[in-house]
Amino acid sequence: MSRDGGRTNGGSPTGPATGELMAVELARRLRDDDVAVMGTASALPQIACRLAKETHAPDLWFVAGGTCGVNPRLAPAVPSCCDEDLLRADTAVPLSDVVLLEGRGDVFTVFFSGGLQIDAHGNCNLVSVGDRTRPSLRGPGTVGLPFLARVGRVLIYTMAHNPRTFVERVDFLGGPGFLDGPASWAAAGLSGGGPAAVVTPLCTLGFDRETLRMRLETVHPGVTVQQVVEATGFELAVPGVVPETPPPTDDQIAILRSIDSGGLLRGG
Amino acid sequence: MNKVLSLHDAVERHVPDGVGLLAVGGMHLHNNPMALVREVVRQRRRIRRLLTSPCGAFNADLLIAGGLVEEIATSYVGFEHLGLAPAFRRSVEDGSLRVLECDEAYITHGLNAGAGGLPFAPLPAGLEVSDVWRANPESFRLVEDPFTGAQVLAGAPLRPDVALVHAAEADAAGNAVLAGAHFVDRVMAMAARTVVLQVERVVPTEAISRHPVGTTIPGFLVHAVVEVPGGCHPTASHGHYRVDEDHLRRYLAMAGGAEGPRAYVEQYVRGSSEADYLEAQRALAAAEAHR
Repeated sequence: MSRDGGRTNGGSPTGPATGELMAVELARRLRDDDVAVMGTASALPQIACRLAKETHAPDLWFVAGGTCGVNPRLAPAVPSCCDEDLLRADTAVPLSDVVLLEGRGDVFTVFFSGGLQIDAHGNCNLVSVGDRTRPSLRGPGTVGLPFLARVGRVLIYTMAHNPRTFVERVDFLGGPGFLDGPASWAAAGLSGGGPAAVVTPLCTLGFDRETLRMRLETVHPGVTVQQVVEATGFELAVPGVVPETPPPTDDQIAILRSIDSGGLLRGG
Repeated sequence: MNKVLSLHDAVERHVPDGVGLLAVGGMHLHNNPMALVREVVRQRRRIRRLLTSPCGAFNADLLIAGGLVEEIATSYVGFEHLGLAPAFRRSVEDGSLRVLECDEAYITHGLNAGAGGLPFAPLPAGLEVSDVWRANPESFRLVEDPFTGAQVLAGAPLRPDVALVHAAEADAAGNAVLAGAHFVDRVMAMAARTVVLQVERVVPTEAISRHPVGTTIPGFLVHAVVEVPGGCHPTASHGHYRVDEDHLRRYLAMAGGAEGPRAYVEQYVRGSSEADYLEAQRALAAAEAHR
């Protein structure tokens, strides 16, 4: 995850940083019977998985794509998904085998995603902004995001909640969300379950069951609904009552800081 | 059979100018065969098409920075948490570099198809909803599954003319041991017509044959072995050294500025022998350690 922008270092010196709250929010969405997989720049979801394992989901499995360490120890967490430290793990699988199993479709139940652009239906784009052949911004490329079509639940995370990132429709569809909405989603007949949640530095979002568009669920402490609406480049579904994101418990924070002992989520 | 060559000779003999498909191993900022990459830049070998692992990094960006790459087949070129790849980004945005858009599944299975002589790689259902294959009609087709009649996505086999791959060690015959993560380097070596290995050290064959199942690339696939201790710098070499983020940040600052990457390429690559470059980096690291 990006360490720039300063938002990872929100909160007081001892209270939870924004990045820490985001890790807790992702962890809350992981279950004991999940097998999760993640790739590029995935320190945040790796920490979330380790936190879930050490709290409510001890039997969760997670694969840190790149090195493909299985249940890496972290402590400390590292910023690169290809760092050799991720082989301090229960076991490891060759990347080519992980790619093979991603195709099987019934092995991995959770896939973490993100993007330069994330749209109202949860589609992700890491390739380009504007026309692909002469883009105004060329991103790195789509990596494994097309596999989102085949996975149980997609959890999206980003450190950038602004109108350039949150757009009505992605310029390049790399990682499929609910495509163009209910009709196209039904027509595609995909085996995956689609995006389940989006966690940002401002809030946590879900998807409206009818429209399959993003819907505000909770705002993080100190953030207003208006701020989220202004930071989102499409018409966001906002329910009448938007609760505050529940704060992490002291226990969660203590465990989180033992996992992320280098303070990546605190901007370290 | 002794396949050990100097860095200069390995590139001169095995990487022809105008090479059709050159593959570079390593993933993100780890196990990039940078000594070989720098030597390709010094010898100005033009590359008609470059292929990366699912995540190319400095290996690809430096070849692009050297003005050598006509087209790139990739699913990612970037510096992960450090930022975007400046030469790649600039060249695509100004239209001078054509991208054959790939994804991780195609690169991996396409290399397997290349390694196995498979006519193409059928890809899992659902991948056709992404825009990747529409953006790259040369590499992807929708075909009829002969068993079910369903339309499925197929990728052309990937057969690199030359693969540049890093391994921790190898014997003189090219039997190589990859330390740490394998990424897709084994598959890349199996698919390529010519494999040039960069290693931290050349070891006696007995050191390999003591634990033969630990051999991850067999020598019969390898054409040249180049011993360059520290040669992955500034990327990491698993089992040996970590990423030099300070150096990479210097590259990103230099290459990301208005002047582009030319000054970096002149100072650190074309204006410096590999031995001088690595010696200077070692001296810097030692000075840093003493501070």
